[in-house]
Amino acid sequence: MSAPRYGFLRANALSLVFGALFLVTLAGQAIAGTADFNARQVAEGLPTVSLLDYVTSSSFGVDVMENWQSEYLQFFLYVFATVWLVQRGSSESKEPGKEGTESDREQQVGPHSDDESPAWARTGGWRTAVFSRSLGLLMGALFLLTWAASSVAGWAAYNAEQLGQRQDPVSWVGYLGEADFWNRSFQNWQSEMLAVGSMAIFAVYLRQRGSPESKPVGAAHADTGQTG
Amino acid sequence: MATPTTRCAAAAVLAAAALLSGCAGLEEDDVAQVAGAFEDPATAPADRCALLAPTTRDALESDGSAPCVQAIEQVPLPGGAVEAVEVWGGEAQVRLGGDTVFLTETPAGWRVTAAVCQPRGELPYDCEVEGA
Repeated sequence: MSAPRYGFLRANALSLVFGALFLVTLAGQAIAGTADFNARQVAEGLPTVSLLDYVTSSSFGVDVMENWQSEYLQFFLYVFATVWLVQRGSSESKEPGKEGTESDREQQVGPHSDDESPAWARTGGWRTAVFSRSLGLLMGALFLLTWAASSVAGWAAYNAEQLGQRQDPVSWVGYLGEADFWNRSFQNWQSEMLAVGSMAIFAVYLRQRGSPESKPVGAAHADTGQTG
Repeated sequence: MATPTTRCAAAAVLAAAALLSGCAGLEEDDVAQVAGAFEDPATAPADRCALLAPTTRDALESDGSAPCVQAIEQVPLPGGAVEAVEVWGGEAQVRLGGDTVFLTETPAGWRVTAAVCQPRGELPYDCEVEGA
């Protein structure tokens, strides 16, 4: 059956809708964050700030970055872990026995590629090696970048808080040893690990008709790797 | 080889960095100037009171049971030359030769929130002048 001819919007609806939802929720965070920040300023007898002042502050920066870094960590770990680890019966897992990077034939690389394969899958050598890991590598790189950004924004917010409480500011390296940095990191990481782990096991026993995140409704609980 | 696009991007990053560091430098100058003026023995009590944050001024008047211009004269300000300035967000700290001063940014400019402060290790500084 040939794929239906869709216009740009319909062909990219999933990415576009989530892109729009991201912008709307980020705006919601900015508005609610400004209100929350100003409520605390008023309680302490300090002047309030504008929305622009707030979204360019370290407080907003660290709140955004600490969430982004944990999302990219989640996908980085999940992309690599699912190469080697399976969950019997889960649509999130591949079939038991297929652990590992699989053969070139299965992965359609080098001489096993076809005319529609990406160029770097066909050429072999380092290009194919890099392209074969590009999704995980990008997620890992984005995790490191956003975690670094989270540490810098968190350092600035922490020092502003220190000064507001008549305490000395700390260096960036000093901040990396502070409980504030690790508390922010771990509280985001634990929620991502919970979401991924629970999704992997829930997908064994529960179904969502029509979703590729689920097995077909009638598939057996023991069936692994099917999507429907 | 750098394309016009990458050169433009590099120029924009450098301009942003220069702007940010310039702004930070200007803020540090403002903060140091306010802290220095507050602790300068030649500054009149009324001018010194005008440099206090509202909550700090209220606390000073409440603690001294007197108007700010009278209460501030009872406070020995160690003063000294500015040795270091830290500005983080809307908060700042200035180390002078004889004192450490804390400031906050208000619509009217930087104002002193605490002065005559002694460090107490991990605990907050113990300040003779500070808001509630």
